[in-house]
Amino acid sequence: MKNNMSYQIVTNNPNVKKDYKEVIFVEGSFEDVLFKVRDLVHTGFELINHPLGASLRMFFSPYRSIIVRENIDKTNNIYAETIENSIVNYQKHMSVRNVDVVNGEDYALIDAELLKSALDEYERVYN
Amino acid sequence: MKLELRRIHIKDIQLGNETTVKNGVLTVNKEELISKLKEDERIKDVKLDVARPGEKVRIIPVKDVIEPRVKIEGEGNGFPGVSTKMAQLGDGKVNVLYGAAIVTVGDIVGFQEGVVDMWGEGAKWTPFSQTFNLVVDIIPVEGLAPHVHETTVRLAGLKAAEFVGEAGRSVEPDEVLVYEMGSHAEESKKYPDLPKVAYVEMLISQGLLHDGYIYGVNSQLILPTLLHPNEELDGAVISGNCVAACDKITTYQHQNNSAILDLYAEHGKTINFLGVILTPELTTLEGKFRTCDYTAKLCKSLGADGVIISEEGYGNPDSDLLMICKRLEDSGIKTVLITDECSGWDGMSQPLADTAKEAIAVVSTGNVSHVVTLPPADRVIGNDKAIATLAGGWEGCLEEDGSLKCELNAVIGATSEIGYHNCTVKLY
Amino acid sequence: MKFKVLYYVNQFFGQIGGEEEAGMAPVFKKENIGPALGFNGLLGEEGEVVGTLICGDNYFNENKEEALEYIMNVIKESNPDIIVAGPAFNAGRYGMACSGVANAVIDELNIPVVTGMYIENPGLDSCRAKAIVVETTDSAAGMRKALPVMANIVKKLMKNEELGLPAEEGYISQGKRLTVLSDKRGSRRAVDMLLARLTDEPFETELPMPVFDKVDPAPAIKDLSKSTIALVTSGGMVPHGNPDRIQSASAQKWGKYDVSGREALTGEYCTIHGGFDPVYANEIPDRVAPLDMLKEFQKEGVIGNVFEYFYTTTGTGTSVGNSIKFGTEIGKELKEAGVDGVILTST
Repeated sequence: MKNNMSYQIVTNNPNVKKDYKEVIFVEGSFEDVLFKVRDLVHTGFELINHPLGASLRMFFSPYRSIIVRENIDKTNNIYAETIENSIVNYQKHMSVRNVDVVNGEDYALIDAELLKSALDEYERVYN
Repeated sequence: MKLELRRIHIKDIQLGNETTVKNGVLTVNKEELISKLKEDERIKDVKLDVARPGEKVRIIPVKDVIEPRVKIEGEGNGFPGVSTKMAQLGDGKVNVLYGAAIVTVGDIVGFQEGVVDMWGEGAKWTPFSQTFNLVVDIIPVEGLAPHVHETTVRLAGLKAAEFVGEAGRSVEPDEVLVYEMGSHAEESKKYPDLPKVAYVEMLISQGLLHDGYIYGVNSQLILPTLLHPNEELDGAVISGNCVAACDKITTYQHQNNSAILDLYAEHGKTINFLGVILTPELTTLEGKFRTCDYTAKLCKSLGADGVIISEEGYGNPDSDLLMICKRLEDSGIKTVLITDECSGWDGMSQPLADTAKEAIAVVSTGNVSHVVTLPPADRVIGNDKAIATLAGGWEGCLEEDGSLKCELNAVIGATSEIGYHNCTVKLY
Repeated sequence: MKFKVLYYVNQFFGQIGGEEEAGMAPVFKKENIGPALGFNGLLGEEGEVVGTLICGDNYFNENKEEALEYIMNVIKESNPDIIVAGPAFNAGRYGMACSGVANAVIDELNIPVVTGMYIENPGLDSCRAKAIVVETTDSAAGMRKALPVMANIVKKLMKNEELGLPAEEGYISQGKRLTVLSDKRGSRRAVDMLLARLTDEPFETELPMPVFDKVDPAPAIKDLSKSTIALVTSGGMVPHGNPDRIQSASAQKWGKYDVSGREALTGEYCTIHGGFDPVYANEIPDRVAPLDMLKEFQKEGVIGNVFEYFYTTTGTGTSVGNSIKFGTEIGKELKEAGVDGVILTST
């Protein structure tokens, strides 16, 4: 494993933008974040955390933060497959449901908390 | 290890001036329990209420469900590592207020789901419509950070369960269940010809509202670990998860883990049950690879011939489930997976977020997107604003007569992936 | 009151004639003809067949709009409670017609439809999710078996009874995964399933993994500059006027056209594909099937030759069965012609 902690956070969560330096901010939706991550993965970025949440409820979130990092190795199929499948899955669920904007602030908060846990995990696992 | 679960059958709960069990009626000293919980200065107020099977009552948003118990012999009353001092669980005698449950309500965030309907259509879909529920609604002081709020509510529920459980200390049980199992060497000697079976229980381990604890250790921090089944039945595992209402494993379901109980029932008859491997569902991909490799390695080291794997949640944990399955099947270990599915309102979408051809034996515990219509309740315990959240999923799900269309997703324990409830899916 | 059934059959079962009458436009008769007669008898006191719609299979498939207009008008006027079509057994065009009627009736009139087909009938895929399709044998010899099954289902539907599992009722799964309560909890079912696996007993998964038809890629072409490359598309690109009348959805056939004299598709081709917005494809058809680039590559010597024929069909709604058939047929021709590689485009 490369000892390389230079991650970047692809996010549309304003709280995350405020609190972190390493941000690729997406003006747009959860889906736009997935698209941005897909584009990065196809140009050689490594996907650090899984793009989907751990319950259907988290699909309703207006915000999502996903960690990637530049990878000098060539594109890895696992990352491409994971992000592509995640997009298909996200679109499947959200084609009939509404993004829960009423609770937007709470989702922003939980997204930031989950990101924090993911970054802690990243530090534990990737060194 | 030898654990006696001594069930005292509870037939009603009353709020009163003492905390006792008489003739199956559990009376709870309301003021004393409230002031006990308010010893935690983060709690501003506590509301207690009782919901009985059949009453037109809706509880929302449920955070956790806990079975009230007291350990009358052996180490570790309560929840060691969390609410009491560390102790080795799994041996001894426990008096269980069977049929009673502590249900905590606390909306840490506005989008929490978690409905328990005690009557009618809704009752069908949750196992906790069958228990007498002491509902503990915890109102924290203002300005608590969300993770402090979550901890506060979680601990208050455990404390309430301990307090109420004490009422059973000197009551004679109606039935006594004995769970006894020696070391692997001993059991293998006793049952040399029986196939060895391990149970892999996956836990969401991803951060706030997405956590589980083993002897108080956040499961995010562990490598997959082996437990004697008695430890979990004795309170070693508790829930800190309150987003995936339908398929989160509540503390009550850890205490009464149906997969463990059903494997135990076969132990010494058709199988040699090796124990429980608790596996965290991490969020990073490398983390997932590591835990999946490690879980498979544990199963192999134990010499398992078969493994039951249960998931918690839907979405990214599907990957872990199938990766573990693949690794085990590739090494010749037969697996059965327990998972719910997300096949859309019409049941016609692809059921899982991931697929693996090795997953040839899967138990489906229901479609979390299955739409149910819940009629209006006479009484709502908790926060009826949370109902608006349920109604916010899509257009037109709040009917004119006040009934509510929601997905099973919102119903506590509906599609329990440890197979605690009876839902399944049939292809029509 | 008896419920009203309207019956749909093709020219053969409508006792008009065989293949020579397949081009007949639909007619409506207020009597029970062919299978409608036997079916009416099976309904007993509960319901009755009020009339029979008869349409030629070729007519329906080649003039779908006109056929449906007439059929839908008859149905609106007769106002039946349910439509019964077929059974079509393994007759492809008849199956497509039953499916076409079923989808139109269900979508526009919200009237239930029961039909019958052999499991490999190409009409099955497009209607199984909406209509109830009873599983039949592959030939009309199965009529005596199929009709009572269809009649039972019709009676149940008319009494608002829920249908049981496909295998119990005799219909082909609609692909709907419905949540129901089992008499055993999930963990018990898991233990039972594992015990079955450990003792090599049969068991049935409750969640079959989707099966993807994976084709191993052919070995790489060693020298492109000496190879003949063919162009094949499922994007519905056809010469103006669609001379072979390839369907714009649920294709029944494919076409091949000589492009040896062309530099590009643009100018003479357009798409008849019903599954996407055709504006950009019609502007420059080579966007869908890049003959222009292939010819350029040929000139530059990147590839040896562009195969003289261009193959085309429509992908949208086309059954897996037909797709396999088309692929096999086209593949055979290309192989025999010595084509080395194929550019296959979809939309």
